[in-house]
Amino acid sequence: MSLFGTTSGFGTSGTSMFGSTATDNHNPMKDIEVTSSPDDSIGCLSFSPPTLPGNFLIAGSWANDVRCWEVQDNGQTIPKAQQMHTGPVLDVCWSDDGSKVFTASCDKTAKMWDLNSNQAIQIAQHDAPVKTVHWIKAPNYSCVMTGSWDKTLKFWDTRSPSPMMTLQLPERCYCADVVYPMAAVATAERGLIVYQLENQPSEFRRIESPLKHQHRCVAIFKDKQNKPTGFALGSIEGRVAIHYINPPNPAKDNFTFKCHRSNGTNTSAPQDIYAVNGIAFHPVHGTLATVGSDGRFSFWDKDARTKLKTSEQLDQPISACCFNHNGNIFAYASSYDWSKGHEFYNPQKKNYIFLRNAAEELKPRNKK
Amino acid sequence: MGRKKKKQLKPWCWYCNRDFDDEKILIQHQKAKHFKCHICHKKLYTGPGLAIHCMQVHKETIDAVPNAIPGRTDIELEIYGMEGIPEKDMDERRRLLEQKTQESQKKKQQDDSDEYDDDESTASTSFQPQPVQPQQGYIPPMAQPGLPPVPGAPGMPPGIPPLMPGVPPLMPGMPPVMPGMPPGLHHQRKYTQSFCGENIMMPMGGMMPPGPGIPPLMPGMPPGMPPPVPRPGMPPMTQAQAVTAPGILNRPPAPAAAVPTPQPPVTKPLFPSAGQAQAAVQGPVGTDFKPLNSTPATTTEPPKPTFPAYTQSTASTTSTTNSTAAKPAASITSKPATLTTTSATSKLIHPDEDISLEERRAQLPKYQRNLPRPGQAPMGNPPVGPIGGMMPPQPGIPPQQQGMRPPLPPHGQYGGHHQGMPGYLPGAMPPYGQGPPMVPPYQGGPPRPPMGMRPPVMSQGGRY
Repeated sequence: MSLFGTTSGFGTSGTSMFGSTATDNHNPMKDIEVTSSPDDSIGCLSFSPPTLPGNFLIAGSWANDVRCWEVQDNGQTIPKAQQMHTGPVLDVCWSDDGSKVFTASCDKTAKMWDLNSNQAIQIAQHDAPVKTVHWIKAPNYSCVMTGSWDKTLKFWDTRSPSPMMTLQLPERCYCADVVYPMAAVATAERGLIVYQLENQPSEFRRIESPLKHQHRCVAIFKDKQNKPTGFALGSIEGRVAIHYINPPNPAKDNFTFKCHRSNGTNTSAPQDIYAVNGIAFHPVHGTLATVGSDGRFSFWDKDARTKLKTSEQLDQPISACCFNHNGNIFAYASSYDWSKGHEFYNPQKKNYIFLRNAAEELKPRNKK
Repeated sequence: MGRKKKKQLKPWCWYCNRDFDDEKILIQHQKAKHFKCHICHKKLYTGPGLAIHCMQVHKETIDAVPNAIPGRTDIELEIYGMEGIPEKDMDERRRLLEQKTQESQKKKQQDDSDEYDDDESTASTSFQPQPVQPQQGYIPPMAQPGLPPVPGAPGMPPGIPPLMPGVPPLMPGMPPVMPGMPPGLHHQRKYTQSFCGENIMMPMGGMMPPGPGIPPLMPGMPPGMPPPVPRPGMPPMTQAQAVTAPGILNRPPAPAAAVPTPQPPVTKPLFPSAGQAQAAVQGPVGTDFKPLNSTPATTTEPPKPTFPAYTQSTASTTSTTNSTAAKPAASITSKPATLTTTSATSKLIHPDEDISLEERRAQLPKYQRNLPRPGQAPMGNPPVGPIGGMMPPQPGIPPQQQGMRPPLPPHGQYGGHHQGMPGYLPGAMPPYGQGPPMVPPYQGGPPRPPMGMRPPVMSQGGRY
């Protein structure tokens, strides 16, 4: 199954066919496998912005590397380049013009990778691993925002070694998202802060968390006028909260829904509740995808409040996901996320990144 | 309801003039009698919705609302319950009632003018689309001073000066938007409760005082209103200006219905006055969210959404989980340390609530080596080169990578200082200076390694 209708692509993966194992569940959805996937868990994925012709995928892994592939229309993936950090890479993002990739790592730094010259330089420094990195493009300024476990949020002009601004967070930064002029940051101890980025970043509101468990991922969504209007927040308790910043009726407009749970209902067996590892919004339809530790991904329509699809279960958790700029491709990474601790880690197990055609499956339930 | 007495006391059906005790019953009546598809008997929510359904599903057009009295058969008028009823007809109705009760008609005008300011629901303010003859049996438009424009103006709302400008441009735009609307509206309705009182979303989208709103709309409109259609879903602006146009939209001569409530493209609403915003919203909001575990029922009403796991409504298994989760929730709010609830009915697959998965993993010595790994650094390239068998790097590299070479070594050391790669040279990206930028890697060069992109390192296994 290729991304765009033509059948191909699979051959390139090479290692995907184990041949003998009939019960191999590493790719039950029969999606396209990206070639030369990283050797350790993939922590973050990001597709190139629309300013670049074609599709390029960046993945950061626990093997300290950041890899770049070109994804062609026929589904073929061509490894293009790679950079290294001295610690696991926790987040990656693109600049708006598609010429640079920013990477955040456990080595307490963030780097800017110029793809044209294939050079990467350090542009940020924290006192603890950098968990998030985002590029902010405002009419009057541009900078890189980094969130770290050192409880700070820093903004960097890539040309200077000192941050342009440092904001204190109540706790360690766990996840963040930026859609100008809004930024949402979720921290440990269920902290949740929204920032407004016009003129300069400033804290807009601290929000009492709609979730009862540790925050794990956040993604901002936009309204019909393409303005950021709220965010989806996922926790480790198999639940996602949809929260609007200024809804007409908060009690009714904001809601949470459960996801990534095993069916504990049928029997007396307890229900297994998995963490939501990533949330991504389809850039065109506004519907969202969630991936969880249970090894499944699901598509949802938050306006119709319905689930659109849930995948088969992969044999490993799905640790990251993202859409390409026009929403035709949904990429998700299958690798261990440590949800069951160290004991279940198998370094020999392959880590995959799968690509799926997302143009149809994410159409909203009600034609809008 | 916060609305003025627009509804005229008892709800009545615009299509057949019947009275009802309750708006809910009215709506049920409309769905069953006026918005029911004669082919498949599916009940829609509005006239336009029915029209679109017939067109799309049965490929049939309908031009009149079933079971409607003559003059009230406009299929394009978006009426739902008591909302969407043209001002003119509301007035007529009122008059009728007044006549019935032997009262004088003096009120009508005042009401009309008041109505225009009403920012909720309907009222199309005057566009009275129906130039349509309809009124049979109704007190003909009468000369209501207040509503001069009405009668004539398909699209010409002389009466509403402020709206005027906005209208024309809107009209054309309507059609394209149309299709989308009804469905959107419908499902807005679905969980009515959610917005019910609000009306903000209501199709006719709250009319805002025409004046202020219009101008901003203008620019937006012509483009055929593509953007404007806010649709119920996200009303960030609602409170704000919202609307105005809606009214216009509603009654437009032809297009009609839908009502995309074009909202002025203002970012303001999101972050009102950069910083101040309604902090107030927080309190109540927070508590409203909490419900997710406890009392699912109370909080948000079960908007029939089919989210299987939808907290608010579904109880089923969730209830158990909810309750169990609620316990830990209590402790969690105070101090997450306890964590991972394990209860008879559910179990969190997560080692520790206090610390994130990444933090836990990063503590391992394996991932702690922050020093430049000796292994990687230089990598003589050759072995490293081929990623996925791209191309024999060796041969390819030298020629392609002229520029690449030098940089390679530095790549090896990432610990915060790049040799050869002054990270912070003031004023410019030093790295770019190094080596001739390779051919833009992305230009497909099939042959040869990706334009010399092959960066070195392959620390682990290089199974590339």
